[in-house]
Amino acid sequence: MPRNLKLALGLLAVAVLIGLISLREMHRRIARLGEMQASEERARHEVLAPPISTPTDVTVKARIFWAAGPDQLAPAEINLPLSADPVQRSRQLVRALLALPPTPAQRTMPADAVLLGFYILPDGTAVADFSDALAAETPSGIVSEQLTVNSLARTLESNVPALRRLKILIHGQEVETLAGNVDLSGFFDLHPPVQSPGTNATPSAPSTPGAGAAASPSGTPPVAALAPAKPPH
Amino acid sequence: MAAPPSPQQVTPPSASTSQPPPQQAAPPSTTAGRPVIVLDAAHGGTDTGARGETGIVEKDMVLQIARTVRAELERQGYRVVMSRNDDSNPSYDERAAMANAYRDAIFISLHIGSTGNPGTVRAFYDQLATPVAPTPVAAAANVKSPAPTASGLPQWEQAQQPYVEASHRVADLIQAQLAQSFSGSPATATPAAVRGLRSVAAPGVAIEISSVSVPSADSLTAAATPLATAIARGIAASRAAGSTGAN
Repeated sequence: MPRNLKLALGLLAVAVLIGLISLREMHRRIARLGEMQASEERARHEVLAPPISTPTDVTVKARIFWAAGPDQLAPAEINLPLSADPVQRSRQLVRALLALPPTPAQRTMPADAVLLGFYILPDGTAVADFSDALAAETPSGIVSEQLTVNSLARTLESNVPALRRLKILIHGQEVETLAGNVDLSGFFDLHPPVQSPGTNATPSAPSTPGAGAAASPSGTPPVAALAPAKPPH
Repeated sequence: MAAPPSPQQVTPPSASTSQPPPQQAAPPSTTAGRPVIVLDAAHGGTDTGARGETGIVEKDMVLQIARTVRAELERQGYRVVMSRNDDSNPSYDERAAMANAYRDAIFISLHIGSTGNPGTVRAFYDQLATPVAPTPVAAAANVKSPAPTASGLPQWEQAQQPYVEASHRVADLIQAQLAQSFSGSPATATPAAVRGLRSVAAPGVAIEISSVSVPSADSLTAAATPLATAIARGIAASRAAGSTGAN
């Protein structure tokens, strides 16, 4: 074999070796970056979503809508200290949805999602601002995305009578869709139950479809709800 | 009640919110009095849609199914226009524009979900997303609020609004057919805030097959022909009932 060819092959082999080492290092760095992001998300969760307690907390049977199968929601009553203040009460409920699913299969929102902010406008519009994880980790699909939205909307409407509609933001911004399908540019109507004075819980209802399920007043059959509000005239 | 807008009367989005849709569709026409079916294979390009653990990718599988559905619908005498026929990713507006270019079209958007009972199929009609009213919080959060048009024409973002009832009826009729072909599927269509339907100025239905989590892609590809049959029968039933016009 000519000496020049040997030299060229040797150089090529060295170049391939260096490339492989670099590639491996790059993979390692990407993995490390991913781990850092996950760690950051967890750290933020711990900082931003510790248990919320307020002076007006009263332990009540809160009605939480968990997943009951791949495309269904079912309400469950759990004992939860809830504030008299609608904003804090809503935050406590969202935290329960994020942190307290009885089983992983019942989870409706990504574990890494963090509620960054919650506001209630004078007209009863609730604005829930979530971290990027809500959009990034909700499985893509009309059924799965609607299940997530419905779980949040129905839990809020069942426990916070002051709310009339819900706007979901991701990291302070309006986004076009949750995970590629369900429109987050508008409002979701909420239908709080008619309550007797001094009560917080509502009667349990049968399992209802998660996708497009009704968020209806207690005592009435589910309607095709989560209907966005009518356009302003 | 005011007359519904013709497709050409929908005000396109302003440049500040989204790009005007390109003119991709052929000139408006119908075949033998039948509507043009605009068949939308959801997602595409960098938008993969749902991904299954066995490697099933929604954007690819849904295109494959859409091609089979198209062939079957054409065999049944329908004129079909595909929103994409490759791994491109037209915007929501571009997809809607294809349907909006026809005077008599039905928009069918095909999806495969991440979840749901495998083997079931759901038809969805749009629950219109309402523009956010200007509020201090909304403004602080950069929430968009579309400006009213000087002409008074419906805005592009709300083009589906006059057609919601018609979409509901068509979706119900298709769902009734799907329930016969796909055991365990619901009997009636489901309302959902589907972004892909919002700007469609025609009856629009999204159909989602469950799911990318099936062990093999074969069961999904096998769904294409019964899916096409259900769509064709549902549309035929809606035409017979005269229910594909605007509200």
